[in-house]
Amino acid sequence: MATQLAQKPEQNVKKPDYVITPPVDIYETDNEYVLKADMPGVAKDNVNITFNNNELEITGKVDEQYTSNENMTYREYTLFNYYRKFVVSNAINPEGISASLENGVLTVKLPKREEAKPKKIEIKAE
Amino acid sequence: MFGTYDLFDDVFALRNLVDRFFNETAFSRQRVDFPYVNIYEKDDEILVRAIAPGVTAQDVDVQLMDNTLTIEMTCKEDYANQPYLRKEREFGTFRKSIQLPYQVDPNKVDASLNNGILTIKLSKHEAVKPRKITIK
Repeated sequence: MATQLAQKPEQNVKKPDYVITPPVDIYETDNEYVLKADMPGVAKDNVNITFNNNELEITGKVDEQYTSNENMTYREYTLFNYYRKFVVSNAINPEGISASLENGVLTVKLPKREEAKPKKIEIKAE
Repeated sequence: MFGTYDLFDDVFALRNLVDRFFNETAFSRQRVDFPYVNIYEKDDEILVRAIAPGVTAQDVDVQLMDNTLTIEMTCKEDYANQPYLRKEREFGTFRKSIQLPYQVDPNKVDASLNNGILTIKLSKHEAVKPRKITIK
């Protein structure tokens, strides 16, 4: 029993990858939902946005130069990769999702389906 | 607060110190102000990296005075006048001074902004540069 415990393969246990949950703003316009996330240290090519089964997943890989501790003499922050997931309603048209990254701020635009857009209802005169 | 000295003041001060030690976590005790900076040092180069999401190059002001580096940045509000479902991001003007442990060369300062991270490259002053001493 004791030897079994001693041989417990600790190395095989996958350590959880620490991730940062980026702060996010979401607002709604007549035609779309707009999501903005602060993700400093991520290049455009390292952002991954997937939309699957009404789940919007955002991952961002931080450049290695910002995560390495080499030659560091003073630290106030540590950067990890970014991860965030949202469940969105059926009102989104998945084909029209677009995203842009500027100065470390990711903007994702989720257009609404035609059926979900606000409609003005005309009142017919009798 | 503006009372005369009382012997018990010291007793209460000690009690507060002990209370603070046990109530605060290690994380909350370490108060750091925005922008967060990391400092790297290699030979005669000093690298300061600050987190600056949503900040454009025009909104950053970097000043060097003796060996004090002052960073001032404005993160402009980009709130749209729309109904918000979630508001988590922060905006405002942040200012921070860092006292560098060495005299730096004021002519060799290079600042760049890339993907929301401000990088300031500084070079140590001639007088404090590491020098190799040859043995005769």
